[in-house]
Formats: sequence, structure tokens, C-alpha cells
Amino acid sequence: MKSQSKTWNDPVLVAAVAPLAIVMLVFFLVPLAMTALLTFQTTQYYRLQWTWDLTIWTEIFSKPHYWTIMLRTVGMALICVVISILIAFPTAYALTTRLKTYSAQIQILIIFAFLTDAVLKTFGWILVLDRQGVANWLLSYLGLGPEAMDILFTPTGTMIGMVYNLAVYPMFTIYLSLARIDRDLVLASYDAGASRIRTFFEVTLPLSRPGLYSGAVLVFVLSLGAFLEPKVLGGGTSPLASELIRQSFETRVNWPLGAALTIVLIVIGALTLALAAAFVFRRTPAARRELA
Amino acid sequence: MMSQHFRNAVVDTALVGSVVLLLLFFYAPIVTLVAFSFTSSRVLTFPIDGFSLQWYGELIRKPDFFPAVINSATVAAVSTILATVLGTAGAIAWIRYRFRFQNLFRVVTFAPLLFPQLLLGVVMLLWFSVLGNWLDFSTGLATVIIGHVVYITPFALVIVAVQVYGFDETLEDAARDAGASRWEVFREITFPLLWPGIFSAAIFAFLLSWGNFYVSYSLSGTARTLPIFVYSGIAVGSSPIYPALATLNFIPALLLVGLAEFMRRRALKRQNAAQPVS
Repeated sequence: MKSQSKTWNDPVLVAAVAPLAIVMLVFFLVPLAMTALLTFQTTQYYRLQWTWDLTIWTEIFSKPHYWTIMLRTVGMALICVVISILIAFPTAYALTTRLKTYSAQIQILIIFAFLTDAVLKTFGWILVLDRQGVANWLLSYLGLGPEAMDILFTPTGTMIGMVYNLAVYPMFTIYLSLARIDRDLVLASYDAGASRIRTFFEVTLPLSRPGLYSGAVLVFVLSLGAFLEPKVLGGGTSPLASELIRQSFETRVNWPLGAALTIVLIVIGALTLALAAAFVFRRTPAARRELA
Repeated sequence: MMSQHFRNAVVDTALVGSVVLLLLFFYAPIVTLVAFSFTSSRVLTFPIDGFSLQWYGELIRKPDFFPAVINSATVAAVSTILATVLGTAGAIAWIRYRFRFQNLFRVVTFAPLLFPQLLLGVVMLLWFSVLGNWLDFSTGLATVIIGHVVYITPFALVIVAVQVYGFDETLEDAARDAGASRWEVFREITFPLLWPGIFSAAIFAFLLSWGNFYVSYSLSGTARTLPIFVYSGIAVGSSPIYPALATLNFIPALLLVGLAEFMRRRALKRQNAAQPVS
């Protein structure tokens, strides 16, 4: 499809761009700048003092407590990425190659599960994972577990919830990548005598890289802010960064601290994004061509 | 040696099995909630004691969740309209036009999608609090709506952009050649062709807003939407009214998702049929 060149004198362009640009500027970019600015302020008697000092940053960098939790958050995010990709890839592959007839219906079911109220779904997991819940009943019914498993209120519970809420993202990015692969390339590989397995590893998998990487990055970045899962399913036993942020706002009423912790998480996410972008850029000529 | 056929059958079964397992995983909490909504017991343990509709009755008798429903509906309706309009305009600018600072525009309008919702909420909360101090207002439903619009518009934009991408612009040229004005071209050609995408985007936006917890939690002040009502409820203790409430919540959502997908696919089919073989 061809696109029209437009200048800023064209009212049509201004009408299409300006409203959204203004909303994002006023309610997204300015707040971000504001948050960064707030980290250099202090609080006294629960009230914000407008100054310019580094109290908050020295506190954050000098207390290992914060970094233990940040590190745990990153660790959980990485595990979540690996599990989500392992779940997402085979299903996306199956949807593009094996289940084409039912692909539409299956996608509707997945989208519906994704769009439903996260609080309710998380509550549903409590009922599943509870000592007297569905999972333990099923295990003992199958004769697998003589004793009830404690999943709820452990990091495992948190992880199940995180994967549950985020695995959809890589599913769709990988699905889109796989669906775009030219079938002729696969057939050509067969013609040249390559086995199915070899074709998969040398044609399909490399071509699905953009979806794989973007899905992984999405899961990583989004899981940095996981809050419901550690709170409701993790039982608060091993808090993640989100809990620190909540406490600094609600319990300690220390905005600069909350702002600084938010900025730390955003920087971690942004660095990951930049790194991944550089990586994809280097590895896939297709991506480079598309961006050019 | 294993025969080729046998090996293929194993791979096929494993792949189809992975989809079945995924659906079981995705629907485990949802089906569990629906099942528990019909329990006759007060404690939520499995297996369920007996069948009853008493918790639905309890919901009707004690409608303290109702203001939250009204709030959620208001927020979702307004955010849907704003996010869909902004997303549609943005999608056209993304795909159809070339202009200076376009890449910057793309990055900024896409960025909220890459933001953990909690952080998005916190960042906006700080801004509204500072702004509220200066201009003397406090957070409430209006700020929730703004938060939802910022969070949801990128989703709407991406969905409409897919539709814009498959758009056949020769139809617009033809209309213009036939003497249609700019507005007439938009009303008669552009909008009807983009409508399926816009419709899906609107449904998506509505459900995202309806079920949103993180952004609302940060920005709602003392107002309560339905997810916040449920969150503060389950923080106190589980009660069988929540599965019943959840089940009532699922039915319209499922219908809406099905309808949107049906419309989108029908339109795609029509589009493909109308396009000349290239």
C-alpha cells in the first residue's frame, strides 16, 4: 500500500495527529518527567518539600533491601519469560500449521480469557490452588499426591499467575511472525532434501525470531510491574518491586521514594528494550530492511 | 527405526495437545469460578457440596456492588469512545501518511503498551496529585477515564492499523475522480471500509477498561470500579458471592468478543473476495 506524504500545513494531518499527540504529551510524557523530577524532592511530616537534593537516591543506593527485591523482581521476570515462551511457541506453531480450521474459534477463546477481569481470574486461581482447591483434589483423585500441595501463597503461586496473565502476548507476536512466513520457503527446503526437523530449525525458527524476541521483551517488561499476583497468590511472603512502590505511597506516604523506585523499574525495562532492539537489529536483516 | 509416519503423528499429537493444555490452563480459573458460583456451601472448597442458585439471590438481595457497576460502565463507555476515536485517527496517521516526526509520533503513541500498568498508574497519579494541589481537584472517575484512555488507545490503534494496512486506496481515488468531496470520500468509502477494525477496537477497548484493575487502582481516589470492589472484597476474605459476580461478568464479555471476531472475519472475507487477483 502506498502512503501519502503530508506536511504540517495540511489540516487533515493535524486533525489525525494532534489530539492523540496532545493526550500522550500531557498525560504520559509530562507525568514521566514529573516523576523523574519528584525523585529529587524530600518529604517532611508526610508533606512534599520542593527542593533539589539527592536524599532519596542515596537512600536507594545505600540500602541493599531495595536491591534484593529489585533483583528478585528481575529474576521472576526472567523465569516468567522462559516459561511463557515455552508455552507460547508450540501453541502458536500449532495454530498456524495444524489447527487452521479451528484457529479462529481458538483465538476467540484465548482473547476472551485475556480480556476478562484480572482480579476475578486471580481470585479464580485461589480457588484452584488452595489446599482444598481443585488442583489438590485432582492430584489426590489421580492418586499422585497423598498430601496436599502448598502452591498458594508461595512464589510458585505468583509465577503461575504471572505466566497466566502474560503468556498471551508472546503467543500473538509469535503467531503473527509464523503466519507471515512464506510457505514456499518451507517447501523449497523440503525439495532440497532437508528433513522436517532440519527445516524447522533452519527455516521456520530463524524466521520467527522477530515475534519470539518481541514477545519475550513484552513479557519481561510487563512482569516487572506484577502486583496482583504476588499480592493475592504469593500471599506477600516474597514481595516484588510493585509491593515496595505500593508501600512507599500508601504506608510511608513518601512520594519521592515511590517515584524513584518507579524510575528504577522503568530504567530496567527501557535498557532491556534497547538491548533487545539492538539484538534484533543485528541478527535479522529482514527487520533492518523493514525499518529502513 | 521409527517410521516417518509414526513420528509425524507424534509431533501432530504433541502440537494439538499443547493447544488443548493451553486452553485448559487459561480456563482453569474461569471454569472454577463458574462452578463455584453454583455451590450451596458457604466455604469455597472442592469438590462442591451441592447445586444452588442462592448466591445469585444473595447478589440481588444485597446489591452493594451496584454503584461499582455503574462507575465501571460509565468509565468503560467514555474511555471506549475516546480511545477508539483517538486510536483510529492515530492508526491512519501511522500507516497512510508520511510526515516529519512520524517516528517520534509512533514511539510515543505505542509506548504505553510497553509500560507495566502499575507504573503507568503511579506516574499518572503523581502528576494528577501535583496538578490537583495546584488546581484544587482530587482524583476520581475523571482521572480514571484519562488513565484508561492513555493505556487503551495503543491497543485500539494497533487493531485499527491492521485494518488500515489492508485498505485498498484505489477505491478512494475512484470516488474522488467521480467528484466526491474529501468528507464524502471519508464518510462513504474510508469509514465503512475501516469499520470492522474500528468495531473490534471498540469492543477490545470496552473490555480492557471494564476489567482494568491497575490503572483504576492508582487513579480512582475514593471512587470504586467493579475490579476494585472485588479486590477489596477478596482482600478481606473469600465469599461465594464473588464467583457468582464473576459468572455474570463473563457472559456479556464472551458474547462481545465473539461478535467482534465474527464481524472482523466476515469483513476480511469480503475484502479478499472483492480484491482482484494479483
